[in-house]
Amino acid sequence: MTEALTYRRRLDLLRETKRAQTHAKLQKNGYMDEDDYGTVLPPDDFHWEPTPTHANGSWYGAEGWARNFRSLMEVHPTYVDPLDVLAGRWMIFMNRERPVCWPPDLDYAHLVPDQERYGIEPGIGADAHFTGDYLIGLELGWGGLLQKVRHYRQVHAGDAAKAALLDAEEQTVLGVQTWIRHTVEAIRGAEAAETHADLRQNLHETAEANAWLIDHPPHTLREACQWIAWFNMASRTYNRDGAGGQLDEILRPYYERDVADGRIDDEDAVFIIACLLLNDPHYYQLGGPGPDGADLTSHVSFLILEAAHRVGTSCNLTIRVHDGLDEQLFMTSVRHLFEDRKGWPRYSGDKGLVEGFMRNGYSAELARQRIATGCHWMAIPGREYTLNDCVKINVAKVFEVALREMMDDASAAPSVQNLWRRFENHLRRAVRCTAKGIDWHLDHQRFNEPELLLNLLCHGPIETGLDAADGGVEYYNICCDGAALATVADSFAALDQRIEREAVLAWDDIAAHLRSNWAGAGGERVRRMMRASQRYGHGRSLGDDWAGRVSRLYTRLVKERPTPGGRNLIPGWFSWSRTIEMGREVGATPNGRGAAEPISHGANPDPGFRADGAPTAMAKAIAAIQPGYGNTAPMQLELDPGLSKDEGGIEKVAALIKSHFRLGGTLFNINVIDAEKVLEAHRDPAKYPDLIVRVTGFTAYFAALSPEFRQLVVDRIIAE
Amino acid sequence: MQGIITDIQRFSVHDGPGIRTTVFLKGCNLRCAWCHNPETLHPGPELQVLPDKCIDCKACLEACPQGAHEVTGGRRVFHRDRCTACGACAAVCYSGALVLVGRRMTADEVMAEVLEDRVFYETSGGGVTVSGGEPLSQREFARGILDRAKQEHLHTAVDTNLASPWQDVAALLPVTDLFLVDVKMTDSARHTRWTGAPNALVLENARRLSREGVPMVVRTPVVPGVNDTVEQIGAVADFIRAFPNLEYYELLPYHPLGTGKYRSLGMDYAMEGLTPPGPDTMQALAAAAGERGIAVRVAGAATVEKA
Repeated sequence: MTEALTYRRRLDLLRETKRAQTHAKLQKNGYMDEDDYGTVLPPDDFHWEPTPTHANGSWYGAEGWARNFRSLMEVHPTYVDPLDVLAGRWMIFMNRERPVCWPPDLDYAHLVPDQERYGIEPGIGADAHFTGDYLIGLELGWGGLLQKVRHYRQVHAGDAAKAALLDAEEQTVLGVQTWIRHTVEAIRGAEAAETHADLRQNLHETAEANAWLIDHPPHTLREACQWIAWFNMASRTYNRDGAGGQLDEILRPYYERDVADGRIDDEDAVFIIACLLLNDPHYYQLGGPGPDGADLTSHVSFLILEAAHRVGTSCNLTIRVHDGLDEQLFMTSVRHLFEDRKGWPRYSGDKGLVEGFMRNGYSAELARQRIATGCHWMAIPGREYTLNDCVKINVAKVFEVALREMMDDASAAPSVQNLWRRFENHLRRAVRCTAKGIDWHLDHQRFNEPELLLNLLCHGPIETGLDAADGGVEYYNICCDGAALATVADSFAALDQRIEREAVLAWDDIAAHLRSNWAGAGGERVRRMMRASQRYGHGRSLGDDWAGRVSRLYTRLVKERPTPGGRNLIPGWFSWSRTIEMGREVGATPNGRGAAEPISHGANPDPGFRADGAPTAMAKAIAAIQPGYGNTAPMQLELDPGLSKDEGGIEKVAALIKSHFRLGGTLFNINVIDAEKVLEAHRDPAKYPDLIVRVTGFTAYFAALSPEFRQLVVDRIIAE
Repeated sequence: MQGIITDIQRFSVHDGPGIRTTVFLKGCNLRCAWCHNPETLHPGPELQVLPDKCIDCKACLEACPQGAHEVTGGRRVFHRDRCTACGACAAVCYSGALVLVGRRMTADEVMAEVLEDRVFYETSGGGVTVSGGEPLSQREFARGILDRAKQEHLHTAVDTNLASPWQDVAALLPVTDLFLVDVKMTDSARHTRWTGAPNALVLENARRLSREGVPMVVRTPVVPGVNDTVEQIGAVADFIRAFPNLEYYELLPYHPLGTGKYRSLGMDYAMEGLTPPGPDTMQALAAAAGERGIAVRVAGAATVEKA
């Protein structure tokens, strides 16, 4: 007898497939301290040989990228699951196939000494990390995009550089169409072989939808989701682009039309959207204000939450919290946090983001359109180039340079004031070096890696023939994040307290302990003493004062002037998953941290910042250090699931989130996680293959994280 | 006015509505055998010793003016009988192995900490809860904190065992928005056996409080072998069912998390090894109470609605 396949059953089976795929990735590729991305492994016999444009084996420039993308699309494996309403999975990180990711002849050796000295991740050569506008593609379809590219190719025929970019864009679109066409053939083959009547019908409809989408714009919800999935997969393949958009508002017209025409009901819609979320954990925003401030929540917002609930995998949905937000959507989402325990949704704070972005000289209307589409970041879809999450200064490294310089300078007595002055000088120098690096990137990135996919969904690059990194879009607001706020703030506080206020320690002593990594006589006691100093996050502490000073200084220096090339910088505090690597570069620090241990996480206080670990104290502290120019300094919070069992527990968490945003907070990531379970999963990850945690801006399968990284997550949950 | 506290806990979510800050006053007039906050019993400061955290730096040996810390035969020994709880050793113990429990603070200092979370009270309908120990064991200080809280227009709650003279309870009425009242059992002889004091005062104060119109939540810690029967919980429910100001009746399952604290304070724990009541027991007791027509909650579990 043929099994009845309800949507629920189909999702169960799809989830099982996903689990097996995750396991296979882990077996083949090892741990990944990053997003799941929705990739699957290519078949064992898959082979693609890129064509280098440089003797070093890499390819650069529009023509090189287009040729290789097109050639990959020609051979890219197809993926069809009869249970899924959407076809395709992506498999190849094309931008990781290059042995050298920046053209050697565009050498920036003049910047390297300071970059290394201050632990700067300069973002030179970084790709994606801004946001396309899906509406452009949904309106035109691949065929329409092709026509648009060819039209502007004619317009710019006299400009060789522009013509070359548009030629490359043409190859890119043709490549995607080829991938879809091959997939349609594969679906037709699967359809012929399928014995289950319902699945055969599903395959038939999937083939029809995809055949249509090769040239035409979507007109149903299913087609719209499939179109988005194709763009996501192609853009991921090209350069790991994970930016999404205001998904509820994007899908609403298709849903409403389908329902009005009697094509689907809510159950169908939820399943279709669930398949989109399963396809790839892109970053989507739900709710929040439209340009005029009116809330965008619709019935589709709820359907998306329900779809995420049912799909039960890793998702990156953000609810934009503003005064007019639909309360039911907000409370439903908080309940999902506790019931699903998969780290979604997270929350962004409209007040802090809009007021902040306006300080750059923009209108409230524009600021509201700058939405959550990335790990910790906001961007205006299709209109802004940001380099979000690509540029970081390891402020702990800057601090270390300042401290060593002071201790080595026999001409002046060491003091906190002396150290602060040197810290400011070095931090300014680090910011200036970073700004020059950003200019270098923007001036040359088109020769390295033009944004051939995202350009298609931007307002400007096709029309002007200019790459998004090269003036093709309207706004350039470049992310410049600091990392290690708590490490540095607590270090200043510990020196201030123990040496200058209490006089229980001398500068030479602490310098010796740092040099020996606390190994000498009494080292451990002094380390504990420093660690027990007044910490950032405690509230009304020296650590809080210093965190405020450090963040204000950092903000002032980043905003002191634009880059030499005139680009606007926006400060934030974020470390992404780089805390381990950045920590390796820094010796012992006066906050009691050991040499090469991880630096502090994002804008968070270090674990153990308060005996009661009060989230309210953390929420206040992080709200107080916001740089305030529209980028984020996120709060990452781990909560015990037991909280929801008490009467009113969920409402208290909801109030915590709203309060953080009232205080000026910008982004709130929450894990609802059972401490015992996570400890057990740390000991034996295979026991919990489905355990999903929000690592930082992104969620990940706990079992897929490296042991070192899992330890960091455990440490956040079980403070010392 | 100064008092002595053991802790100020922010994001307190179990002691009244909304997000609260709970101020734990030190000193208690009862000696409940199951108490999970033994550090709040004694009215004065005392030293908590956590040997597992010791890094053997020996700073305490030099710091202690009484010679309470010694190394004898290669082993660390703490002579609690010599300790005056001056805190000198704890001040130099950065590993957290020696902790002085009991901080002297003024009501203004307490309020400065409490006000840190004002925005969270406003958003959640929360406020400040004065708990203990028994807050009425420092009645002037408790009143001082509540006075200051009302000046700041905060919602106030008092968590009390009511085993104090009525005038002490009544003195808090003008500044208290919610009373969280412990009624552990109705049988006075058993009450004496398990808490060290009869319950006549508790029950009488509860009755009087029920006529005052201030909202009241009655809570019972459910302790296996002490009061975990349908009869005993039913008797408490019968006692409170007619209270017009009763918001709800809450059953708090016993938990053993205080066990380690007894050891660290050099105290014996009569209930060591006791297993917490299971969810089935709690639900059965809640149902029994609910049959009396009152709203019942079980801490950490779903609500049993009014029958």
